[in-house]
Amino acid sequence: MSILVNKQTRVVCQGITGTQATFHVRRSLDYGTNFVSGVTPGKGGEVHLGLPVFNTVKEAVKETRANASVMYVPAPYVKSALKEAVEAELDLAVCIADGVPLKDMMEIKAMLKGAKTRFIGPNSPGIITPGEARLGIFPENIHIPGHIGVVSRSSTLTYEAVLEIARVGEGQSTVVGLGDDMLIGIDFIDVLEQFQQDEDTRAIVLVGQLGGTFEEAAAAWYKSLQNPKPVIAFVAGNAIPFGHRMGYAGDVLTSGCISAQDKKDAFAEAGMIVVDNINDIHVRLAAL
Amino acid sequence: MNIHEYQAKKILSQYGIKIPKGGVAYTPLEAKRVAAKVSLTGPWVLKAQIQSGARNRGYFLEKSAGRRGGIRLIKARHNIAPQAEQMLGSTLVTVQTGPKGKIVSRLYVEAFNKVKRIFYVGLAIDRENAALTLMVAPTKNEEITRLALNHPEKILRLQLDLEGETTPEQVQRVMDFLKLPNKSARSLETLINGLHRAFLDFDMTMIEINPVGVLKNDELVALDAKISFDDNALYRHTDIVRLKDDYEASERELQAERNRFGYSEFDGSIGCIVNGDGTALAVMDLLRKQGVGTACFLNVKGGVDKDKIISGIKIIMTNPRVEGILINILGGFLRCNLIADGIIAAASEVGLNVPLVVRFEGTNKEEAKVILERSHLPIIMAETMEEAVNLLVNAVEESA
Repeated sequence: MSILVNKQTRVVCQGITGTQATFHVRRSLDYGTNFVSGVTPGKGGEVHLGLPVFNTVKEAVKETRANASVMYVPAPYVKSALKEAVEAELDLAVCIADGVPLKDMMEIKAMLKGAKTRFIGPNSPGIITPGEARLGIFPENIHIPGHIGVVSRSSTLTYEAVLEIARVGEGQSTVVGLGDDMLIGIDFIDVLEQFQQDEDTRAIVLVGQLGGTFEEAAAAWYKSLQNPKPVIAFVAGNAIPFGHRMGYAGDVLTSGCISAQDKKDAFAEAGMIVVDNINDIHVRLAAL
Repeated sequence: MNIHEYQAKKILSQYGIKIPKGGVAYTPLEAKRVAAKVSLTGPWVLKAQIQSGARNRGYFLEKSAGRRGGIRLIKARHNIAPQAEQMLGSTLVTVQTGPKGKIVSRLYVEAFNKVKRIFYVGLAIDRENAALTLMVAPTKNEEITRLALNHPEKILRLQLDLEGETTPEQVQRVMDFLKLPNKSARSLETLINGLHRAFLDFDMTMIEINPVGVLKNDELVALDAKISFDDNALYRHTDIVRLKDDYEASERELQAERNRFGYSEFDGSIGCIVNGDGTALAVMDLLRKQGVGTACFLNVKGGVDKDKIISGIKIIMTNPRVEGILINILGGFLRCNLIADGIIAAASEVGLNVPLVVRFEGTNKEEAKVILERSHLPIIMAETMEEAVNLLVNAVEESA
């Protein structure tokens, strides 16, 4: 069992003919991911990495019954790529690109309201269900099938969390990188909810990040659960000195500056297990 | 990307927003000339153009700059040049610049506008709702940050649309909330509409008018203006890119920016190269636990080539604060062997005279390790982030 993606997920790659896409789709295919097609406007009819290439997502869905997309398109094209994914009513769209303009993201978020599609990213390492499907750029060799769910707002710390799980001989049910950006598609609550319902996930590792109040919202949601699964949480940034910025509007919005410690306090107060050092995760996992 | 107050005011005035008369001066003589142009009788305001808030409450590092802050009210004409002389070329420190401060290379000389009252207006993006949010608050005698912390209910927040159409109802709500005189209505509408449209037209991430003043005739005037732009959207605003002030950044920062790296400098002694901001913060936390500070961190992000890696490593190696280097790469998008090649090339160019600890994980990790081993450079390899930090702290202590 897993969440969001598995062996049956029929994946289309948007921007498949690009260099990074070629590198990573090939690896994902080797990993066993069920890719069914690719999309690159203007290259419809070609075959790339053994997959049929279409001009639009709609065609790809019609011809190959794709239900999830991983997009390697450059940042300026993410908005139009996602629009296609939403209009084709895919279940899931995963975006790797970093540098998507915030205005585009605000429009994307408006587009996603009431839509069927779940959007992961941008600036995300993607989503991986070990042994079944890899949509993104994860170093697949560090992942092992298992029973710990991982959800993270920091790309590289996602890998750290995964390595910590391996240190106690456990593996992951699914690993979700939400993306490092200020505005992201789905956030902690959506993923935690799925892990909570997934019979095969026994515990969850959560990595938060400075900026915004996604962590506080997740803590409040977790606190309201009847029988929550154990969550081990980490937020980096205790050592960061504040002050290197201009203006106050961001702080005014969140009613004061929120530190990493504030976030950890919110997690602890909600009943999560908080670690101060990410390399302590394996110790707390072993103790569960 | 941030711009200066005078640049921000110019943009906003294009939207009909009223600003005091003013002009830029790079020398005391220019300051005098501009002052005469903007007001015959004064008073005038000399405003240090550095990209920071709280300039008024800031102080100059140099004794020669006098004891007044970065915003100076001048009543007599003959004081303009001497005061400008004091400020220009001096270093202004504010709560937002850090202790090193910023050098004032130009002044904005404005006609002083007497106002009856002031209030705060800010526009920013609310992450939870992914929405553009207008914030308004009366700020008489109170700093907006303190108000936000202690009395968030005293700040009005309104969600604005993505089309740039402020509704009359929204304007009325602001009128009521601030209890502005009826005569201010037109002026307020122009202000909010203008800010709203400017924000969207130019892909801004923040506008702050702290404060807006209410003039004797109830018209509103933007007494200050701060604007930040979305770096990721600058490709569609070439006219804005030209406003960038390179004096605000160090040579290393500029070099990092050219390569699209993230780069931040601090007061410690360890230079870090990572490929994610989260990792940078986690490494800083671990260093601090050992009582060691970070000198700088460089986030090389993904999608880099060998040349970019070399210039990234050179940035760190040429930072004089750096007594030890930690490279922690978790390869996903980024391939570790690329970094290894870069380390060797950079070391041969600028020399490796401080301890270096490298920790690789992920894509092409083994290949990268072999490359470094074959180089016979004095590089220490680590398996985990924690181990890397511990090994480096020990190596730096030993080499001292």
